[in-house]
Amino acid sequence: MSSNNKDLTDLKFQDELLFAGNPTFGSVTEDVSKVVETKPGQLWYVLFGISVSLTLMLFSMIGYLFWEGTGIWGLNNPVGWGWAIVNFVFWVGIGHAGTLISAVLFLLRQRWRTSINRFAEAMTIFAVICALLFPTIHVGRVWLLYWVLPLPNQMEMWPNFRSPLLWDTFAVGTYFTCSLLFWYVGLIPDLATLRDRAKDKWGKLLYGIFSLGWRGGNRQWQHYELAYLVLAGISTPLVLSVHSIVSTDFATSLVPGWHTTIFPPYFVAGAIFSGFAMVMTLALIARKVYNLEHIFTPKVLERMSWVMLLTGSMVGYAYSMEFFIAWYSGNEYERFAFINRAFGPYAWAYWIMITCNVISPQLFWFKKFRTSIPILFIISIVVNIGMWFERFVIVMTLSRDYLPSSWDYYSPTIYDIGIFIGSFGLLFTLFLLFLRFLPMVAMAEVKGVLPEADPHHGGSH
Amino acid sequence: MNYDANTYTIKDSGKIGTIALVLGVVFLGISVLGYMNDSAHFFLNYLTAYIFWISIALGGMFITLLHHLTNATWSTVIRRITENMAATMPVFVILFIPVVFGLHELYHWSHAEVMDPSSPSFDALLHEKKGYLNETFFFIRTFFYLAVWTFFGYMLRKISVEQDSSGKDYKLTYKKLSAPGMILFALTTTFASFDWMMSLDPHWFSTIFGVYFFSGIFLSGLTFLLILLIYMKSQNILQNVVTIEHYQDIAKFMFAFIIFWSYMAGSQYFLIWYANLPEENYWFLYRWGNTWESVSMLLIFGHFVFPFLTLITRAAKRNIKLLLFMSVWIFCMRFVDFYWIIMPTGMNEDGSRVAFDFNMYDIAPIIGIGGIFFWFFWKQFTANAIVPVKDPSLNESMKFQNT
Repeated sequence: MSSNNKDLTDLKFQDELLFAGNPTFGSVTEDVSKVVETKPGQLWYVLFGISVSLTLMLFSMIGYLFWEGTGIWGLNNPVGWGWAIVNFVFWVGIGHAGTLISAVLFLLRQRWRTSINRFAEAMTIFAVICALLFPTIHVGRVWLLYWVLPLPNQMEMWPNFRSPLLWDTFAVGTYFTCSLLFWYVGLIPDLATLRDRAKDKWGKLLYGIFSLGWRGGNRQWQHYELAYLVLAGISTPLVLSVHSIVSTDFATSLVPGWHTTIFPPYFVAGAIFSGFAMVMTLALIARKVYNLEHIFTPKVLERMSWVMLLTGSMVGYAYSMEFFIAWYSGNEYERFAFINRAFGPYAWAYWIMITCNVISPQLFWFKKFRTSIPILFIISIVVNIGMWFERFVIVMTLSRDYLPSSWDYYSPTIYDIGIFIGSFGLLFTLFLLFLRFLPMVAMAEVKGVLPEADPHHGGSH
Repeated sequence: MNYDANTYTIKDSGKIGTIALVLGVVFLGISVLGYMNDSAHFFLNYLTAYIFWISIALGGMFITLLHHLTNATWSTVIRRITENMAATMPVFVILFIPVVFGLHELYHWSHAEVMDPSSPSFDALLHEKKGYLNETFFFIRTFFYLAVWTFFGYMLRKISVEQDSSGKDYKLTYKKLSAPGMILFALTTTFASFDWMMSLDPHWFSTIFGVYFFSGIFLSGLTFLLILLIYMKSQNILQNVVTIEHYQDIAKFMFAFIIFWSYMAGSQYFLIWYANLPEENYWFLYRWGNTWESVSMLLIFGHFVFPFLTLITRAAKRNIKLLLFMSVWIFCMRFVDFYWIIMPTGMNEDGSRVAFDFNMYDIAPIIGIGGIFFWFFWKQFTANAIVPVKDPSLNESMKFQNT
């Protein structure tokens, strides 16, 4: 009974209890700015060293790829799309959590988002950069990449506007631009804080330039809040549209197992699911390394686990619908595609996917697991693995087409694996630089939900 | 009608209920004439009206479950209404009986000869689906859906009403009920949409169909809720309890789900149009040719473009007159959506699809079922306080402000 009572009090005063240790305006500024203003510890340098090495590996392998061609991957006929497309969808998906947290949860008045939104958005931008890499290098003749843009040229050649791959260019491009703008607009008040606190010349100069003359006046805040709301409104449909477009890469085709109407919402749910897992992983590392346990509190993490439970169940729903309708369609090719997924040569991947994505988040029904940091960490990694395998399973549908004599098995080469691992290096390099030079928590927003921000704070009424 | 603002109760409310009941019975009587006129048309039409009204009840159930699961406080003031919408399920159990009798007229797969390999009208594709599409299993499933919905509709209301007298905090009880409730809700509505609507054209299939139905359920529930709230407002009921802030929030949901519905409908149409496979595109083709074009166009412009453009601004969401108009409009569009899904599946004697034919008999089942639904809803709704008076979050909900 006592635990019930406690839970109810928590719910009632949830906003005040979001952050532990009774932080004040001053302590929030201090805790967050300190990370940027002091020299990083040894751990940062070690991690940065590893990430940069992996990034260098990525770029050298890409260099070799340009020289030699996509034949260095495990591509075969019929699997003309290999790990590159898997990684592309994986990374775009990861990005979605940032936009969901910053835009959708903002519109839904979820105030717990304030502590995680900044670095979730940063992760979005870096993940989209990683994502864009893969279709770029997959085209083979990368020097002709500008052909996907509708540029007027003497060849009188226009891209095929009916191709989902072209829609990807627009969708992901728009997404990247809007996310960057949204992130930057959110950063301005915090950059001004850092400018005001900066002691060295470069800090003053650079934070000064990028804070765009922010003085924190009433008018400025008014405009800022309006701009933020409008950008949130613009970004919200993007959360849905980008991954819907990505899903059409598969769903507009005539391939059994790909052409199915649930793909757009199913991909969006999966994207949010994987993105939250990645935010969780990064948040758990960051709070440990930088001692920010009182800002990324268990309350915030628990709410994130609710979102993962919800989206994980949605993904499970989509898997079952696909399977059921494949049977219900009565179409033998559809049926074969799904039986083959579950029991064919890639059955191992399929069951990894089911275990990681559908079964593991169900643990979040129990408070014990939602509030245990090690369990959260493990599940967040497991979900990331599962969501990569989801895309792998989908792409490998290609390996058994209509003609049994052409069936083949995709075996990744060292370049497949190296480029994928290297893309993690790129993400972490950018992310560590972000942690080093920019405030990883939206200070101004966190202050807005502190008890101190309540006009009645300290009063008796 | 007499409203007591201190206890939040409506007294001598009988007249509206009686009118609804009389209308319901009379129009169900009239639809018997429709049955005698053209039984095939009647059954499709009855099914349309049935699904239209049950989706409103289900919408109420979804809003209630969502409220409990998300710890929402703003919606406490409207919860008693949505609970009572959900608690009307017994009506729909009874009203399903005509569908049972119309099974053979409605569902081609229920004909024994299509499953019989020796028959000239044997359908090999349907034979493949026999494990799912057969009468026994269909009735078992339908029974299960209705039982689940009746149970949750009943329980959600019962606990809430109990709270009015006991004053205890049932937050945890609600949650423990709502979590499995939401899972069952998702599965039952999905399969109900497959069984009742998708299998009207048993060759056709679409994985998104369940989500498409769900998006409409939520919209149906919201429109009914808004119309009722605005009506009560005109009678000075719940003044200062349901404020303009609540209207704006409901309107936000309505706007969002107009988009969500269009996203679902659009995804389904777009992917099938693009792939252009004969085994699935024909479903849209006979809704495009054969005099159904205008209904299809009405759905695109009336169910998406017009409400989307109208409800986009904050000012529109806080304008009660406009909201009344829009909720009635979308309420009607919800009917058009079901009409468009269900009616074109009808067949003429020669096996061709029926043409668009909206006649006076079509109106009878809508008012008939609606009348019975509303009578039952109103009777239960006015039996207790019309807000959960002892809910700890009620005060916070009343003071809620959009920031």
